[in-house]
Amino acid sequence: MTPEDSQLIEDYLGRLRACLRELPSEDSREIVEELRSHILDKASEGGVTREGIASVVAALGSPKELARQYLTDELLVRAQKVRTPWAVVHAAFRWARLSIEGVLVLIASIIGYIFGASFFLAALIKPFNPKVGLWQLEPDSYQLALGMTDRTPQGHELLGWYLIPIGLALGGGTILSTTHLAIWMFRRFRRPPADWRLGPAR
Amino acid sequence: MSRSDSFEADAPDKWEVQLRKGCLELAILASLWGKKLYGLEILRRLESDADLTVSEGTVYPLLSRLKALGLLESEWVESEAGHPRKYYALTAAGRQRAGEMAQIWSRFSASLGQLLAPVGKGR
Repeated sequence: MTPEDSQLIEDYLGRLRACLRELPSEDSREIVEELRSHILDKASEGGVTREGIASVVAALGSPKELARQYLTDELLVRAQKVRTPWAVVHAAFRWARLSIEGVLVLIASIIGYIFGASFFLAALIKPFNPKVGLWQLEPDSYQLALGMTDRTPQGHELLGWYLIPIGLALGGGTILSTTHLAIWMFRRFRRPPADWRLGPAR
Repeated sequence: MSRSDSFEADAPDKWEVQLRKGCLELAILASLWGKKLYGLEILRRLESDADLTVSEGTVYPLLSRLKALGLLESEWVESEAGHPRKYYALTAAGRQRAGEMAQIWSRFSASLGQLLAPVGKGR
């Protein structure tokens, strides 16, 4: 193998490594080493030529696209293991770049977490600032506002001190069920691309 | 062409895509049933034994996903070619999963086969 041949391989792997920055370095090193071994093995099948190496590298696809497949899967699997809101949103954000299902999960999980966190936060602040509550803005209206509001003179707070247990339960419940739903969606809808085909029948 | 016509025309392709997506995982687990293999051997195995051509850009990330899910384990082995290769093997969980999937597949295809026999002859 000539130095130019090695350079071709190292260029590709270097670009891939750069795209895999988000992963722990141990994981990205392992991926790069495995693909290096693949390129060397496949290129040597037909005697190592410049064209051979170029076509093996081309068959792997662009480093960016390949890295996306790895990153999405790694992040989804991690989210399933640790089950924290941050891991779920991070994984969904990655997935959203690959498919419409990912976009839907991303939007739903962000809304769910914001909703849950607001109730949770309101319950935590209530002991220090009793004006925080679930406010009905006008008598007999369904316009509700969570927080500290005296925007309207007729406004009236609905929950009183019950905000604390209700806020904690509703907030915690919403956050847990958002995580649960997002992970169910990951398991149900995340699939590798369908780019394989059946050969001619023998 | 009306809207329903174009939908009908697309339908078999979409169905085939869904079918393929669902099977790749089983094909990879099954290829490792007998012994441990490295990535390129798995690709070759799918080609030679199942007439499946899969791109490496799909198989390698999927192998890493199956490993992260605990269905596969891997080890690096030095080769006579001068560089180490990453070999994959089924874990106990992977073996169980492959067995379950294969059973479902066989049952399903046997029962559907009966139904499909006259349809195939009619063409």
